[in-house]
Amino acid sequence: MMDTQLLISGVIFGLSIGSIFFLMAIGLSLCFGLMRIISLDQLLYYSIGAYITYSISLVTGSMWLGALAGMVVAGIISFGVERFIFLRIYERDIAFTMITSFGILIGGVGVIKFFWGVVPRPVPIPMITQISIMGTEIPVYRLIVIAISLLVYLGIWLFLNRTIIGKAIRAGIEDVEHVEGLGINVYRLFTITFIIAGTLSGLAGGLYAPLIMVDPQMGLEVMPFIFMVVIIGGLGSIKGTLISAFLVGQVVSIGSLIYAPLAQMAPFAIMLLILLIKPTGLYGSKLLKR
Amino acid sequence: MLKLFRWWWGILLAFLLLAVLRVFLPLPFSNEIIIFSIYTMGCSFLLGRVGFISFGQPAYLATGAYATAFYLFYFGTNPYIGILIGILAGLLISLIVGPLFVRLRSDYFALVNLALAVIIFYMMQKVLAGITKGDNGLWFLTNIASTPVLDLTKPNHFYIFAFLVALAIWAFYKYLNDTLFGACCLASKINEDKVKFLGYSNFKIRLTAFVIANTTTALAGSMYAVYLGFVSPEMTSAHRAADPVVVTILGGVGTLYGPIVGAIAYTGMKDLISGLIGNWELFIGFLLVFIMLAGEKGIWGSLEPLLKKAFFRKSAFKPER
Repeated sequence: MMDTQLLISGVIFGLSIGSIFFLMAIGLSLCFGLMRIISLDQLLYYSIGAYITYSISLVTGSMWLGALAGMVVAGIISFGVERFIFLRIYERDIAFTMITSFGILIGGVGVIKFFWGVVPRPVPIPMITQISIMGTEIPVYRLIVIAISLLVYLGIWLFLNRTIIGKAIRAGIEDVEHVEGLGINVYRLFTITFIIAGTLSGLAGGLYAPLIMVDPQMGLEVMPFIFMVVIIGGLGSIKGTLISAFLVGQVVSIGSLIYAPLAQMAPFAIMLLILLIKPTGLYGSKLLKR
Repeated sequence: MLKLFRWWWGILLAFLLLAVLRVFLPLPFSNEIIIFSIYTMGCSFLLGRVGFISFGQPAYLATGAYATAFYLFYFGTNPYIGILIGILAGLLISLIVGPLFVRLRSDYFALVNLALAVIIFYMMQKVLAGITKGDNGLWFLTNIASTPVLDLTKPNHFYIFAFLVALAIWAFYKYLNDTLFGACCLASKINEDKVKFLGYSNFKIRLTAFVIANTTTALAGSMYAVYLGFVSPEMTSAHRAADPVVVTILGGVGTLYGPIVGAIAYTGMKDLISGLIGNWELFIGFLLVFIMLAGEKGIWGSLEPLLKKAFFRKSAFKPER
């Protein structure tokens, strides 16, 4: 059997990957829930967040500043995309938005290649200190990533449950037409949600950048995993997204300790199984009409 | 006689143009176009006729390709039998996964297909690495034997073969669109409740369409395998998952000649632009967004009404069902 040290570092590794998945999937999930669009371009904001982090940390030497700048830039770009493209196509079929956003993603990858080239870039880890948990050395940075994602979950939860705008968004997830009937401008809600989604994707990219190499295809590489997290958790559910993100992270990480070739494949098998048993995902609302 | 001619003339004209194109374009490019358009045909049928958007077409492509590759690498030398085995493998896998997948709604359908593509990718790359040689792929170009009439080892003979196969497939799909089954597919896309009300089974219609489309995709895969003489897991990676969907949209969803036009435009642009600046994604991406915003009809979808107006100005024109 595997020893405790390996297991603990595996769990921490899985949790930190799961945090990144969560930060990205939450945007996709909210966008699907409220606007009924599948917004593949979240993966673009993820790459942009990572690249801005790279550039800023190269200039200023501070990765945290870079991640912050990445967040802001990703938010601004998502605002522009929403204004110019998505505003025209909210009424259309879901497959239509999927293909359009895929076009944005591919075009954006082209822009990234134009500015930064195709060579993978390293981002320095901001803190190399390690702390010891039950005799296992754990990098502090991974713990901070986990903490940030939990804080984001708390913040989103408070936002959705304690503020008027958040309550309107939650109501919109159940039934957009009734919210519109109450005199609330749903298009403003859409814009707000889209910016939140883009910003969080940018944050995910920025936080993940020091742990991997930043390259133009990085968005496409995580795409299947993000989809899987959203589907397993149930489209439109924040709690489900958190749980399934950590689940998928653990399966990838622990699975690779047991039998490496299966690790990348196992989550997909789980997703197939869950979809065939419960087509709405773990916490998907049955009220969703489409 | 006239009726028969009228039925065939569109296909014959299209393929005549394709044959003329062969004179001007290099051979590898022509081969690529033909195989790619067969690959796209299945996706176009699923998307345009049945309303299923699939991001997992590479899964079926790779199934056909690997079945052919296994046969040619380990067992035999005859490429025709290899292609036949590829088709059978495609039929088999779509019969296995079809009943599970076609129950799902359209957006989930896209994602489970993507999941299947990823599973097959890792199976070929890691789990079955003993037989598939992992990332190196299987090389069997020298194993393919010369056959008497059409020698598939020669690129120009392969072109004739691919041309004939494509012609047969287009005739088949045109026939399919005219039958009751084709009408049922379209009906089940537009209003499934009414189809049920008329006494047809949505499940059976969709399953049949799924099996037909993905067997076509597997055929394209096995043709790739024979043409290139090697297969690798790269073929089914998630990066390329959207290629057929993009080409379908580019050509025009659900139109008969959309896949050919789309394949020519896509392959041409990829070659042309990557030759110029090496940044073709930018153009493809923005072209895709532009086409979607301009009314999602695609190149052929926009041209078709204009051409019909030009050729059929006098006669009473019946729109294609």
